[in-house]
Amino acid sequence: MRDRGELYPLKILVAGGFGVGKTTFVRSLSEIPPLLTEQAMTSASIGVDETSAVPDKVTTTVAMDFGRITVDDSLILYLFGTPGQSRFWFMWDELARGSVGAVVLVDLRRVDECFPAIDYFEDRRIPYVIGVNRFPGSEAHSEDDVRDALAINPETPVVWMDAREAGSSLRSLVALVEHALSRTAVAG
Amino acid sequence: MPSDGEVPTPRRAAGRVVPVYAVTGGRTRSAGKELPVEALITVTHSGRHAADLQLEYRTILGLAAAPVSLVEVGAHLQVPVGVARVLVGDLADAGYVAVHLPQVGGDGTPGPEILERLLEGLRARSG
Repeated sequence: MRDRGELYPLKILVAGGFGVGKTTFVRSLSEIPPLLTEQAMTSASIGVDETSAVPDKVTTTVAMDFGRITVDDSLILYLFGTPGQSRFWFMWDELARGSVGAVVLVDLRRVDECFPAIDYFEDRRIPYVIGVNRFPGSEAHSEDDVRDALAINPETPVVWMDAREAGSSLRSLVALVEHALSRTAVAG
Repeated sequence: MPSDGEVPTPRRAAGRVVPVYAVTGGRTRSAGKELPVEALITVTHSGRHAADLQLEYRTILGLAAAPVSLVEVGAHLQVPVGVARVLVGDLADAGYVAVHLPQVGGDGTPGPEILERLLEGLRARSG
């Protein structure tokens, strides 16, 4: 039935707190114009507070940001900006399944906002890199400071980057894929 | 239907005359295996010559002239991914599109060969 040769999709998640630059990162690299898609969210997935005023079975939707990079003739990479709030974690599960891994963006002025993402990927043993997004003052911190603040293990790469620049965002993807590969080598 | 207060409003899907749940017959799941959001589809020979299809199906076949993912189909049709999954599933069942799934190993993650190729491709782009 196939009309063409091998063709494989791949995906990488871009996670982090609200306003840390996930959308900027995805858009800096994507070859397609920004597209939003909607994911159905049933009331069961919404926090208790939000459902208290609505009847059962209400479905709302949440926007999902994504981008695409055609890597070569047969590989197409998708980037998904994952919604930061923990009530969207059911979406992360679907997105994380089969993924290469994640770039966790960090704003050093608000480090604690990336902890839920770090915990999520650590718990599931999904490869990730820390992308310290350039905000005022981020250069003043050393890698050791960042590692201490985030309490990440020594193997986890930390890269300083600027989500507005495609080359910079691309380098953090390269760091992630290198990291994912090194882990398959260890596991294999 | 979206509420009036919803912003930003995506551009309207051109020409839809029936709600999407009518197109899918109220189904929110396709009969087949659940496709991941990044699954790619391409139109097949018979899909190129399919006649008398509803607008949504024709739109998808048009998009699938070049490889396109489930999530992109959803965005183009402005329907939730679950709805796109049903429509794509129908076209795959009819043999009108080929579905290209992610290649993952026994642990459910991409294997070293494919990661090597990804790395090579990304490095080539970063120059």
